[in-house]
Amino acid sequence: MSGAETVRDSPLARRNPTVKLAVLFLASVALLFVLDPVTPSVVYLLGLIGVIVGGRLPLRTVLAAQLPFLAFAVGVFSINVLSRPGTVVWQEGPLRVTVDGLIVGAALAVRTLAIGILSIGFVLTTDSLALMTSLHQNAHLGARPSYALMAGYRLLQQLPGEWTAIRDAQAVRAPLRRNGSVHRTPASFGRAAFTLLVLAIRRGERMAQSLESRGLGLQPRTVWNPVRVGSLDVVFGASIVAGLGVVIGIAGLLGVLRGPGALF
Amino acid sequence: MTTTTSSRRSTPSLFAWQLKDIMLLVVLGAVFGFLYWALVQGWIALSVATGPFGDLTQHVLLGGWLLVAPIAIAIIRRPFAGVIAEIIASVIEVVFLGSAVGPLLFVAAAIQGVGSELPFALTRYRRYNWFVYALSGALGAGLVFFFSAFRSGWYGTDLLLVRLVIQVVSGIVLGGLLAKVIVDALARTGVVDNFAIGRAHLGS
Repeated sequence: MSGAETVRDSPLARRNPTVKLAVLFLASVALLFVLDPVTPSVVYLLGLIGVIVGGRLPLRTVLAAQLPFLAFAVGVFSINVLSRPGTVVWQEGPLRVTVDGLIVGAALAVRTLAIGILSIGFVLTTDSLALMTSLHQNAHLGARPSYALMAGYRLLQQLPGEWTAIRDAQAVRAPLRRNGSVHRTPASFGRAAFTLLVLAIRRGERMAQSLESRGLGLQPRTVWNPVRVGSLDVVFGASIVAGLGVVIGIAGLLGVLRGPGALF
Repeated sequence: MTTTTSSRRSTPSLFAWQLKDIMLLVVLGAVFGFLYWALVQGWIALSVATGPFGDLTQHVLLGGWLLVAPIAIAIIRRPFAGVIAEIIASVIEVVFLGSAVGPLLFVAAAIQGVGSELPFALTRYRRYNWFVYALSGALGAGLVFFFSAFRSGWYGTDLLLVRLVIQVVSGIVLGGLLAKVIVDALARTGVVDNFAIGRAHLGS
């Protein structure tokens, strides 16, 4: 639950959240069409340096946050290595490794890590409430969806606690094994999930009523702690996009860049 | 700074959303985002346990990712409820929980939502039988398959068709039929009586 902690001050944390989200999305879509291992590696290294320096984050925190992306990358890599036809370099029974599989697999794995480091940079340097305020003000998301999302974010923070309470309540009534430990079944997991759903829907309806009774949806409205798009944010967004363009352009000039054609 | 917040009483149409409807989408997104996050931990464990074929076994669970759209549509019964619910769930996964797919999940979620919503839209949000749910799951899984195949580089590999079949079947069972089971169970508890689904039940 990486979004729950408070964000420490850093150059990256001071940038406008909507601008950061837009840049992150743009970079991810651009990387989607890059299918060689070299270009995303460069993006990854630049991203890692940028996140650690610009976000003033300890290397350990950043690397630990990358573990899920790493697991995902390993999965994408292994499936391409083992199931892509091409020049065979190793074969053992039904398993075979091909050159094409190695290259495309590595490209996809590094892309996952590159998008991963950028996402981590965003999540670890962005305050969730500032993001919602920014989406409302800068991206012109309506007041009702914005505040509903903020309330949902609060609910999300409470869910692990509710989940533990439901599981504990189940454990009290659950049959015990001979050694005294609680006998849990997969069905009890499903029942707990359903209970959580019912509880959340009921709470959501109450939140909607209390938001409306406090005048949400009336105009004009003012905003607490307004978030603005400054000139530094424009420079930040433009330079990141330009930097990505330069990396892809140089890769294209050097002949290492490959597009989606590498898949087929 | 002026914002456009339309008064909800001025246009009493199918598109006039009440705050509690928006709130329901957010709540569903939060709960399913949280459950998906729990599921992903098991998902990664499963893929490590089954080695190189973990990728295939993961497809079996794909339908679970589609659940939120048909549930949202069945309760609120308004156009775009499914698409918006999927996107909100993906935003919660990426921004608050740190999903390993990154922001491309927004795109995948939108495609899933469109696929899941299409069958309900074709009945003009009036029919909620087993067949429509199953079709919703199949289309949701089927449409997003082509995006996932591009993103994860399945094109040009063996087993492309096997993947498609596993995912569509999983979509029908976990993303379609299971959604009806959950919606019916929710309707029996009474928590959704104040939404469109409750009014429909009272009317019949």
